[in-house]
Amino acid sequence: MTKRTGFWTLLAVLLPFLILVLSLAIGSYRIPPKELVHTVAGLISPSRHPDLAPAFKDILLHIRLPRLLLALMIGASLSLSGASLQALFKNPLVNEYILGISSGAGFGAALSLVLAGRGFPPQVAAFGFALLAVAAVLAIAGRSESSVVPILLTGVVVAAFFQALLALVVYFASPYALQTLFFWLMGNLALATWRDVVLAGPVMLAGSACLFLLRWRLNVLSMSETEARSLGVHVRREKILVILAATLASAAATSVAGIIGWVGLIGPHLVRMAVGADNRKVIPLAASCGACFLLLADDAARMIMSFEIPVGIFTSILGIPVFVYLLAKTKKVWL
Amino acid sequence: MSIRVRRLAFDYKDFGLRVAAIGFETSRLTAVVGPNGAGKTTFLKCLGSLLPIPAGAVLIDDRDLVRFKSRERARRIAFVPQEHGSIFNYAVLDFVLLGRAAHLGVLATPSAEDERAARTALDYVGLRAFAARPISQLSSGERRLALIARSLAQETDILLMDEPTTFLDMRHEVEILDLIHKLSREAGKTIVCTLHSLDLALKYADAMVFMKDGAVLAAGPPGTVLSEALLETVYGIPIRIRTVDGRIVLLR
Repeated sequence: MTKRTGFWTLLAVLLPFLILVLSLAIGSYRIPPKELVHTVAGLISPSRHPDLAPAFKDILLHIRLPRLLLALMIGASLSLSGASLQALFKNPLVNEYILGISSGAGFGAALSLVLAGRGFPPQVAAFGFALLAVAAVLAIAGRSESSVVPILLTGVVVAAFFQALLALVVYFASPYALQTLFFWLMGNLALATWRDVVLAGPVMLAGSACLFLLRWRLNVLSMSETEARSLGVHVRREKILVILAATLASAAATSVAGIIGWVGLIGPHLVRMAVGADNRKVIPLAASCGACFLLLADDAARMIMSFEIPVGIFTSILGIPVFVYLLAKTKKVWL
Repeated sequence: MSIRVRRLAFDYKDFGLRVAAIGFETSRLTAVVGPNGAGKTTFLKCLGSLLPIPAGAVLIDDRDLVRFKSRERARRIAFVPQEHGSIFNYAVLDFVLLGRAAHLGVLATPSAEDERAARTALDYVGLRAFAARPISQLSSGERRLALIARSLAQETDILLMDEPTTFLDMRHEVEILDLIHKLSREAGKTIVCTLHSLDLALKYADAMVFMKDGAVLAAGPPGTVLSEALLETVYGIPIRIRTVDGRIVLLR
């Protein structure tokens, strides 16, 4: 590794955490900068700062920190899954939607909110139905070895089916359940707790770690299936491995935060425009880029109005113009 | 490394491939020729186990090809397609590096040694200066060379090539075939390639295989196997064989 790539690697690793620390200052309850530094220092070494204001401490430790950690992990997971699936399916427009993950999770959350009330947590139902949707896609299309098109088509069909089921549940939902459900469907981090971090965090990390290890293999898998096979790849087995890892990461992300669009497209494409298509670089940088993007979008969601706006709306409102600008500005082909 | 085929049968809709027995020897360049739809590419893909072989056997040094694991097979047989099928615009060196997949585990990334092997392959085909160039900026001829370099980075004894000269002008046709011929002689590779051009096959190949309608009609060294009757049977048009300056030429 040269000195220059070393610097960029360090920056890619540190930047999301730097944004996370700065984002601690943002929120509806204003904490003065001096108090903020004092409280953070007190949280790191309690013995030297015994006189912490309990309100500040509670807000930082139990509301903002879990939320920001989740934003970081969710942004990284969605971006990483998007990058991997785009390579696997040789299609730049693929993200977690295409395997039915978002629709399955949406239906699961709706079902739990409407039918089971508080007995069965929507996060668990969302995760379960997201996995079920992907399992259905693989069961229907997985038999055909020849091409990726059957999987993409089946994904569209399964997603549409769960959309219809979701509409059915929404039709029968009570106004209260409906409000909670819409809050969830728009993509939201406002209700993030440490429990979400503990439950969904390890699943996101496991899926992301697996994709990170597969980063060079994704270059090989992005060739046609005949070529991949001639290069020594057991195509069907490795295809399912990538899909499983991407599904775990993005389904866990969706289950705690709802449907957050565009992160899986913006992150990977920004990175490819900057460093080219080699997934050895794209995969780690996409994770970093997605994490920064969702942290910043969440900051905007908390800052712009006096009340909060669902972050899923912001990822689109912020993401699409950035994307269009880069498409127009970048003359060279980056794919 | 030698290849033997025994009673190979492959059926696809209303097309059937039937090859009773044929062999390919070490350090020899064999050209598979015949009209469009004769089954040349299908036959080539069966030789590389890129299509499942439903009946019969392909033996690599007397070992049945279906018994090889994916990676084992890819260390012995490399396949050079007409075009690479990726939308992603890799740098040429990264593209050639993909050939090393045959020597690496699923979770591995290429080492400095793998990169050296890829650079050696690039040097061999004369693309050293193009290492950092995006693959989309290469001409068709250069892209063909990059594909060959990738198969060389795979370090196999057997090379299967699908129409290595299509879409190339006459000079690049000759350059590519000179390179392929050199690979069979210097590097001792067993090479089987499908070719459209009979003239090039006659000039370069050690052996020719004539195919039509999924069957092998004749096989052997060009000098012995070639006849006007055979050409008329294979292509369905009269073709005259003449000798000019000691070389065989075909007149249509």
